[in-house]
Amino acid sequence: MRTFVILLIWIVGFVDPTIVVAQVDAAPAAQAWTDLAKLPDWGGIWIPDVPDQRAQVLENTPRWTPSAAENISDMMAAAATGRPARLFNDCLPEGMPTWMLISHNAFEFLFTPGRVTMLGESDGNRLRRIHTDGRGHPEDPDLTYHGDSVGYWDSAALVVDTVGILPEVYIAVSEAVGLRNGGDMHIVERMHLAGPDTLHIELEITAPHVLSAPWKTTRIYERLRGAQFDIIEGVCLQGSFVDQVDEDGNAIVVPSMPE
Amino acid sequence: MNRVLLLSKTIGLSVGLMGFAAPTFSHHSFAVFDFRKIVTIEGTVAQFQWTNPHVVIWIDADAQNGDESKAWGIELTSPGNLTRAGWTKRSLSPGDRVSVTLSPLRSGNAGGAFRGATLLESGEDLTYDWARLAQVQDGSE
Repeated sequence: MRTFVILLIWIVGFVDPTIVVAQVDAAPAAQAWTDLAKLPDWGGIWIPDVPDQRAQVLENTPRWTPSAAENISDMMAAAATGRPARLFNDCLPEGMPTWMLISHNAFEFLFTPGRVTMLGESDGNRLRRIHTDGRGHPEDPDLTYHGDSVGYWDSAALVVDTVGILPEVYIAVSEAVGLRNGGDMHIVERMHLAGPDTLHIELEITAPHVLSAPWKTTRIYERLRGAQFDIIEGVCLQGSFVDQVDEDGNAIVVPSMPE
Repeated sequence: MNRVLLLSKTIGLSVGLMGFAAPTFSHHSFAVFDFRKIVTIEGTVAQFQWTNPHVVIWIDADAQNGDESKAWGIELTSPGNLTRAGWTKRSLSPGDRVSVTLSPLRSGNAGGAFRGATLLESGEDLTYDWARLAQVQDGSE
């Protein structure tokens, strides 16, 4: 039946080229699901190694352009005096690469045919879809917070290529220090286990508007297994509202006191 | 955190008040706290705000030296991180008598980052391992 449908679509397209012939993605065969068992085990919950994150901030600084470096220096000075810039107060997604660089919260991987999906905690918008079905990037992708990611398995390592990130997304080294990438950013990652329960994500970030050279940095995550460690819902904006009860006894939320 | 000061003046002793108007503890940097300092306060839990992005313990600190009681907001990490460390939304309840150690706000307002707590009636300790943020303690930020 499937063959017939494909043949029919091909014939229709041949007879009248003005008819738009949609790509019909086939449902994955059972083999595609069992093939997933051959992939390395990235199950469980991954929590970031925060002391290493902070060491990286001091020891492996991005290759900022001179003007970018001045802004960064000002932001670090402000943070040191206890008046940090509030880059993520608006609760918009941290996006790529910042989620990987500075998060203190857990994430998990889902493996499905043709895709690796990363879901994060504490900000409901943390979601990356990495297509491993052999597709390339769209020619003119809509720009997004996490970009368009395609990847392939190089033995037990996942190599990911990401483009199409909105120019306003930060390259941040902390919640108080970072710059908007300015557009045309390109991120290549190599993700692999470095131990039974240790994951390394090696990033190479190219951002010509703020970085004078590609910046390489690695982030380390440790695995936890068990229902008690499961990721829970986290809505960043929730802390900006307060639960109240209206005069009719209905549960409502109202904005917290404004700044 | 000027909001905290405004809150303490506006709300005062507010145990059990419906519609507790808490300031926004949005997704900010911990550079606002001085992790080189430790302050201990005793008081009564007004609210245990178990929400993202940061869980906050609101405490009506006991009056000291003739000063009137003050409302303090003590920040922890996200509910997810706390759950993985064994906390629940019932770890603290309004009315609990507690002693809390914190790293104070650099601004001098009544607030800080959680360093430890003891429930005074039961003697139970509540801890959160900030070892993940160990580098902060050297004052480098």
